[in-house]
Amino acid sequence: MSIFARLFMGLSAVVLLLPIVVVSAAALNGGRSMLFPPKDPTLSRFAEFFLEEPVWRGAMFNSAIIAIGSAALAVLVAWPLAYGIWKQGGQASKLLAGLGAMPFALPPIVFGVGLGFFWGFGGGLGQIWSGIISHAVLFLALPLVTISIGLQSIDKAHLDAAATMGATEAVTFRTIVLPQMVPYTASGFFFALVLSFNEFIVMFFVSSSAYSTVTLQIFNSLRNGFTPTMAVAAITFILVSVAVFSMVARFGDLPRLMGADQSKS
Amino acid sequence: MSSIETSSAAVGDKPARHPVTVLPALRPLVLWALILTFCVVPFGLVIAISFGQKIEGAAWEWAFTPDNYIRFFVGADWPASTTFLYLNKLWYSLYYAVIASVLAVITAFPFTYFLTRLSRAAQSKWLVFLLATMSLSEVFIVMGWDILLSNRSGLPMLLRETGVTAWLKEVGWFDTLRGWGLANPRDIKFKTSVPATILTMSYLVWPYAVILLYPALSRLDQSTVEAARTMGAGPWTVVRTVVLPSVRMPLIGTLFLLFVFLLGTYVSVTVFADPSKQTLAISVYEAVRGSTLNAPFGAAQAVVLLVTGGICLCLGQILVNRRRTAT
Repeated sequence: MSIFARLFMGLSAVVLLLPIVVVSAAALNGGRSMLFPPKDPTLSRFAEFFLEEPVWRGAMFNSAIIAIGSAALAVLVAWPLAYGIWKQGGQASKLLAGLGAMPFALPPIVFGVGLGFFWGFGGGLGQIWSGIISHAVLFLALPLVTISIGLQSIDKAHLDAAATMGATEAVTFRTIVLPQMVPYTASGFFFALVLSFNEFIVMFFVSSSAYSTVTLQIFNSLRNGFTPTMAVAAITFILVSVAVFSMVARFGDLPRLMGADQSKS
Repeated sequence: MSSIETSSAAVGDKPARHPVTVLPALRPLVLWALILTFCVVPFGLVIAISFGQKIEGAAWEWAFTPDNYIRFFVGADWPASTTFLYLNKLWYSLYYAVIASVLAVITAFPFTYFLTRLSRAAQSKWLVFLLATMSLSEVFIVMGWDILLSNRSGLPMLLRETGVTAWLKEVGWFDTLRGWGLANPRDIKFKTSVPATILTMSYLVWPYAVILLYPALSRLDQSTVEAARTMGAGPWTVVRTVVLPSVRMPLIGTLFLLFVFLLGTYVSVTVFADPSKQTLAISVYEAVRGSTLNAPFGAAQAVVLLVTGGICLCLGQILVNRRRTAT
């Protein structure tokens, strides 16, 4: 690897890290303004965020509930979709998967506005459960993609062997397909979880100010400027993302999930 | 997102076995109902409501009137007078999104190329880092750049303290910067400015660009690269004549996806763009939930955004498909 390549990658990493480092440092500010380097460094913002202020505690709780709930729901819907494409193929199931991925591909503000109307008529506006469904729909594309990648990696010879030995589809599914699919399903779940955790535009329209998540809480107080307590939220979210993706990398094949050539290792 | 290509590639070779189904035959019907209700109906509602009309007191009713679109394209008073206020907002949406996505792809391309040359373990570590920054909420990213570009503790302060600002004033370039809107009478400033908006938006999609370019670049046929090298081609010649032509379509596809993603950016634009240079996403927000409260008009603006994004996604898909049938 040439020196130029190393330099370029290093520089990219520095630029990527710059805002993250600055935000993390800003969480130490003693006052209410975001200064860098921090003035009167203190750790009391952490206590404020996690323990003292009920607004943030409640928001953190909602964020977690919605992220976990919607990711689980997205995986549950993505499974039969991906399985249908893999098993039957055909234009119909391809179209269905395409429609399922549509909310993720189009500008979220449009989908948010649409869901706002939708729940307005459907009676779910401002409810946590409608927030969970909304995020599940928005991030359905992620488990759909990871599960599809996983299904493609299943060795067809194993399936044929099972069929020759008289296994029914249900047995084949349980003994061959399912065990191999655990890492891919988990990755899909965690991708959806992390993105739901960080999303706020769709949540803004769906929650209708009845409740808020952490990112939504920050979004709502945008006009009053950022505060060091929000920087604590930023640190928490970055750590959660790093932890989750490290886990995905540890238990699954991250380069392959991201579409790398499988033959090379 | 990155593997839509791979997932559809395997659809062709379906396993030809068993008429027995795991789940009841009802399954496809239930799935279609679910997807249509939750993925399609919300977009349909936006389109339907865009033809509705506002009634005084922030409510609206169903109707079938083109008024909202007339207001969008030529102004509410048309034909008596025409204003292009909202077309101007659309223009800024496109302007920021095009520049930011091109910037991201140009800088992410060499990075991704170098990344795919690393060992699998090193790639894995980089991917964790990239995915973590990619999923980071826009509010946090804007928070970081807000500090980095702020007058009190960011780059303007750094330039002032190190004497660069004074030096710029001496050589007369300061006035040039003022002309570009990057300085107030005393200091360099980035809030509000177009470069700050574009920089933040570009940062926002940069990890996406890497993740989207990654499959194509990592499947690049290494033997042709090596063949070119042995025949005496320099690294730049190899990139220009071997690497770039073979990833041209994924490159364009990535560009389109990032562009559509950026059409809806909200926080970067509200924080970094001057009110006169704000985008359609902001006026959609204002009309639906913010100060102006006119849901049908907001919906009409959202439809314009939707159509713009949809056209670009289709174009990108067509280009990628053409490439696939060509090979």
